[in-house]
Amino acid sequence: MRRLPDAASRGKSITMDLEGETVPAIEGEPVACSLIAAGESVLARSIKYHRARGPYCFSGACSHCLMRVDGLPNVYTCRVPARDGMKLERQNAYPSAKVDVFEAIDWFFPKGLDHHEMFAGVPVAEQVMAKVARQLAGLGLLPTAPAPERLPVETVRTRVAVVGAGAAGLAAAQVLAAQGLPFLLLERDSVLGGRLLSGVPEADAPPPPAEGLLAPERVRTRVTVIGLFDDEEGHLLAAVSEGTGEPRLVRVYAERFLLAPGGHPPMLPFENNDLPGVYASHAASLLVRRYGVAPETAALVGSGPELYALARLMTERGTKVVAVVDLKGSPPADAPAGAVHGSEPKAHGHNAVSGFSYQDASGRRVKVACDAVLVAVAPSPSFELARQGGAKVEYDEAREVFAVVADAEGRTEAPDVYVAGDVRGARSAAQAAADGRRAAEALVQSLTQAAVGGKS
Amino acid sequence: MSKALVCSCEDVTVEDIRHAVAKGFRDVESVKRFTGFGTGVCQGKSCLSAVGALLAREKAQKPEGIVPFTPRPPLYPTELSLLASFPVDESKPPVGGVPQELDTFPATLRPEGAVPTRARVVIVGGGVLGLALAYNLSLRGETDVVVLERGYLCAGASGRNGGGVRMQWGTAANIELAKRSIELMGRFARDLGINVWLRQGGYLFMAKTKAVAERLERNAALHNKHGVPTRMLTLDEARDVVPGLSLEGAQAVSYNPEDGVIFPWPFLWGYANACRKAGIQVETYTRVTGFELSDGLVRKVKTDRGDISCDTVVLASGAWSPEVAKLAGVSLPNEPHRHEILSTEPLKPFLGPLVSVLDSGLYFSQSMRGEIVGGMGDPLEPAGLNMGSTLRFVSRFARALTEQLPNLGHVKVLRQWAGCYDVTPDNSPILGRTPGLENLLQLSGFVGHGFMMAPAVAERMAQWMTTGASDELFTRFNLRRFQEGKLEREDMIIG
Repeated sequence: MRRLPDAASRGKSITMDLEGETVPAIEGEPVACSLIAAGESVLARSIKYHRARGPYCFSGACSHCLMRVDGLPNVYTCRVPARDGMKLERQNAYPSAKVDVFEAIDWFFPKGLDHHEMFAGVPVAEQVMAKVARQLAGLGLLPTAPAPERLPVETVRTRVAVVGAGAAGLAAAQVLAAQGLPFLLLERDSVLGGRLLSGVPEADAPPPPAEGLLAPERVRTRVTVIGLFDDEEGHLLAAVSEGTGEPRLVRVYAERFLLAPGGHPPMLPFENNDLPGVYASHAASLLVRRYGVAPETAALVGSGPELYALARLMTERGTKVVAVVDLKGSPPADAPAGAVHGSEPKAHGHNAVSGFSYQDASGRRVKVACDAVLVAVAPSPSFELARQGGAKVEYDEAREVFAVVADAEGRTEAPDVYVAGDVRGARSAAQAAADGRRAAEALVQSLTQAAVGGKS
Repeated sequence: MSKALVCSCEDVTVEDIRHAVAKGFRDVESVKRFTGFGTGVCQGKSCLSAVGALLAREKAQKPEGIVPFTPRPPLYPTELSLLASFPVDESKPPVGGVPQELDTFPATLRPEGAVPTRARVVIVGGGVLGLALAYNLSLRGETDVVVLERGYLCAGASGRNGGGVRMQWGTAANIELAKRSIELMGRFARDLGINVWLRQGGYLFMAKTKAVAERLERNAALHNKHGVPTRMLTLDEARDVVPGLSLEGAQAVSYNPEDGVIFPWPFLWGYANACRKAGIQVETYTRVTGFELSDGLVRKVKTDRGDISCDTVVLASGAWSPEVAKLAGVSLPNEPHRHEILSTEPLKPFLGPLVSVLDSGLYFSQSMRGEIVGGMGDPLEPAGLNMGSTLRFVSRFARALTEQLPNLGHVKVLRQWAGCYDVTPDNSPILGRTPGLENLLQLSGFVGHGFMMAPAVAERMAQWMTTGASDELFTRFNLRRFQEGKLEREDMIIG
């Protein structure tokens, strides 16, 4: 990965301490982003086979970028803003993450390691293994100091709580604002817009949110919702707010919940899909659009319109795209030149991607050299909150994801839970926005009816 | 080395998923437990859909049978210190909880075909007690046995507990049973071919009130009488056993180094595999819908896959036992009580024993995988089969835990879940024949500890069932005692 030469200055240049070495960074940029831009591709070692890992999803949905940061274990470095002098350590490796002797485990067990049956019944080996396994298990070290006293929990009561300020959540919020209904929009990122700002560009996508689109008191950024619970007062969202620096717990009670949290970048299973240098399309587009960081050469693999749109984006920003492999079928007529239908993708390299291969339509294995493999497949709906709120979730065979079951207006099995956007199964930004609007309108109507019903 | 990863948090490969399917674990919940996918830091965010797609492609499951595992809170790893800041009104009982879909297993998950029309023994409940009994019956030559389980293996309390196994009890019967159980657990891998990873790091009990301290001291003497090396520790000694442990307010500490922790899930698979190998049918996703009774005997067990006529029925349904017993017109004094528990991110080993504050019911240990696993009872928890998760629990637990080990404040919770204790009026199990229905045998009411008692109880029960030799266990803990007022009170209950 490299910083694009034309990238505008994005912040103050600072340095961080990576296991005694000084690495350059940009203040406020995610730590993992600064690290890969500085050429540090191995950030972690995996828990069992000690495989080299670099960031994959850039959305806190995988575990590839976990490091010990300022003495705290398992920090998502893809989410934490870089600060001057930050102390970073790689975990789970000896003597170092670059040369880890435990990597041998990966080689000793080419067919995998079944700890249920391993050495079962071999008296001495079994006891020795139990001791060894205990020492090898775990990720990260116990912090050396207690946490500070936390700020008291903040309680918010509103009529509608909207989760996620992507295309769907923003469209919904605009409808609610227009109706004059008190609502609160919660966004995990520091900015509103989701993929409108950092996703793979789509031709028919709505414009990114303009400054002042929503009244400031209606919006909270850097708020991570952790659950949709209930207590004696009814449903509530529990969230961790980092808006003011010190994290604090917030509970949001509402009459209706409009959930538009989008999806998680999934793992596409193929050989060496966890090598540093393999990135989810979301990560690649975020890195290039927001931080001006991109690979020199990349192979793209996946399916659907996102694959081709990503190829165009990367090419435009100077990455040499050496392969575009569609796993589901022949590329459409308007696909970038060189795109092919292929199968059995594989990433090559020891501790980082150095190549990519696939089987072409004629059954021939094709290999290309590259320093990144970008995986473009539909996101996995983040259905967790909806399900916790009582909505039904089903397997969508065609899209190969679990999605929330809802009617056209976003109503779920739970009367107070509405959903919109990718959480219903992959949607384009335009579809997500339309979802958001419809769901907000249906929700407003349900509140109005409830009010009328209440009076009669 | 070239590997295709599905769940990169736990290094689960495509081959691991195929291996699980080949072993008969064909639904998402079972594959999750067998392979460990989705149990790591990201809790399935990046792997769940990929596993669903793999199961569909492998034809392990029909599309309608591909249902996701229940996503447990928190959605993202959350520090204990933050969870501890949530205010709890201790005077109000807990309400609701995020729904746990255990009553809605889709019919497509049910195995095809009917259950056998006849079996000498039908065991209702495929938890650890039912399976351990079936296995022990097979050791004694009785293999005409069917085990009925309403969900997947590990769906009930046996798959939801903290894995603690201890000899520190308050009654001679429990001490002896636990001693034998731990002995059998130590041999489990050799006997049954699957590792349960018994780690005897000890149990450290703390008492914060005078009354509980006296109880610990009294019980330690009883333990020693039964050959259990429990000793009372000074506070300095306790600090050596658990560095960093706050002993503020501790009045007494007892410690038995031979207590330990095992990994609960393989315990069931080990028994189930051995049962199947012996020709016993373990029928998952099969629900008992009723019983046919005549002349004071159960003649048939009715299920949603057909009826089974039988000579003996064993009720080993744990927290569901009152519900099932009612189908036979039997009223049990058992009550299901939700017990919540959580697991943190995995850390390198730093905690040897399981630590418990007996007064509050707080307990925690570090699992073989490195996670802190622990729970705490709630005195106001209402009775009922509720397995939902509450903020109230994580908050109370986080506060109590960080009070004992302050350095855990920054440690993040990965998931919380709940299971049901099967509580009896005297905290002791219900065993033996049912008055009025002689061939309905009771094997429940273990108040959250059936898991650790199973190997020894099953051994005694199989012996008793196959030889007819009398065993005081099945008279002492008989259902009759509640009418006769001869209760068997156990006072070392956590939670």
